[in-house]
Amino acid sequence: MTDQALTFEAAMARLEEIVADLESGKLSLEESLQKFEEGIALGKTCREFLDRADVRIRTLTVSQNGDATEEDATDDE
Amino acid sequence: MSFAEERIFAVGEINALVREMLEGEFPAVAIAGEVSNLRVPSSGHVYFKLKDATAQIAAVCFRADARRLDFELEDGAQVIARGNLTLYDAQGSYQLVARMLEPAGRGDLERALRLLVARLREEGLFDPARKRPLPRFPKRLAVVTSSTGAAVRDILSTIARRFPCVEVLMVPVQVQGEAAPAQIVRALDAITALGNVDVVILGRGGGSIEDLSAFNDEGVARAIHRCGAPVISAVGHETDVTVADFVADVRAATPTMAAEIAVPERAEVLARIAGLERTAGARLAMRVDVARRRVGAFTKSYALGQVRGQIEHAMQRLDHASHRAARAAGDAVANRKARVDGLEGRLSGLNPRDVLRRGYAVCIDAAQGRALTRATDAIRAGNVHLLFHDGAARANVLGAAETHAPAKEASK
Repeated sequence: MTDQALTFEAAMARLEEIVADLESGKLSLEESLQKFEEGIALGKTCREFLDRADVRIRTLTVSQNGDATEEDATDDE
Repeated sequence: MSFAEERIFAVGEINALVREMLEGEFPAVAIAGEVSNLRVPSSGHVYFKLKDATAQIAAVCFRADARRLDFELEDGAQVIARGNLTLYDAQGSYQLVARMLEPAGRGDLERALRLLVARLREEGLFDPARKRPLPRFPKRLAVVTSSTGAAVRDILSTIARRFPCVEVLMVPVQVQGEAAPAQIVRALDAITALGNVDVVILGRGGGSIEDLSAFNDEGVARAIHRCGAPVISAVGHETDVTVADFVADVRAATPTMAAEIAVPERAEVLARIAGLERTAGARLAMRVDVARRRVGAFTKSYALGQVRGQIEHAMQRLDHASHRAARAAGDAVANRKARVDGLEGRLSGLNPRDVLRRGYAVCIDAAQGRALTRATDAIRAGNVHLLFHDGAARANVLGAAETHAPAKEASK
């Protein structure tokens, strides 16, 4: 799963679910291993997401009749 | 009435009587009028006349009460004065002792506002049950406020500091003046139409003295209510809660606090991830320990040298799998070596019984107690024991069979 397919929120939720499964003690060793590997991969994905350094800023201009135009504004802060 | 019965008052006496009547009859009055002849002598008491087109009344607001005035009292101001009537003995004139003064019209606004609040509450717009939860990790956050005020800077810098991995959609609007309510409504509706905003911060400009009436507007209240994303209001002053604050899903005291509520702290999230990984590693290690103890018991109960060789082979394969897991862990937690310390070691003795559990069995020559690695050996031996993960079975080998694995390959 790439981070485009999975939102950060979903990745975190999945990671938490995996850890809860591991904590339940009900998994076989094989399942434990699979979940662990998936968890580690998710942790990596989440960290990469958090490494993004700059806030992306866009502007939404709404006209009198409600038409909205969105454009990038990162440079004219 | 004869002169003999006529009562003659002293001046002070009649004044005292009239005062008694005045004070008894008018202990609390509210009078609307225009302020004129305003004087503030060094005593600090405020003297003025309240007048309308045809009449006037003397009024005084004593220093202690005057200090509590929250607006500039000046000649020409239309006010509502509340207090009691009394008589000023020294001049024999009656006057209003004003205890409270407010600009005329403010009362009307307040009444209208109270009615609006009551109506919207009745309709359920403030119902705590319909407050939407905020996303834990918003991807896209809209900021509806003046593009020039301090609020927008505070919000952006707070987000940049706490959780920069987010997209901010600025939606500039006027926050005061006649056009403000309609602009705010259009902005919120446009955000709803976009459908890809996770949370909205609605803020005032951040100036010191601001007209907050746009945030007491019914249209704005309804737009917040129907907004497609949860709304954090950063509008009211500490003392002045607006209708927008009541309707919003979350109320923040300042724009900075709104941003702090909207996004988590990056460092805390990283710590949470590390904590989860740590727990996952510890749990896996525990699971491995359990498996390893079971293997110990298992191998002892089948004290067969050759079988041990098979198990060792299986262990090697599991070692490989566990090494893969440990390496994955190592990649992700490169800087946290201490944390995974021991994990790799603990993983190295993975349970061969789990290989058996996955559908493998070990075939042992019943006569010689030797593990069989070839079909031909098994056919020759005839009597065999099959070792499954949960025990062993006696079996007779009937003869050669079509092999499964190549058949699978061929069908691909």
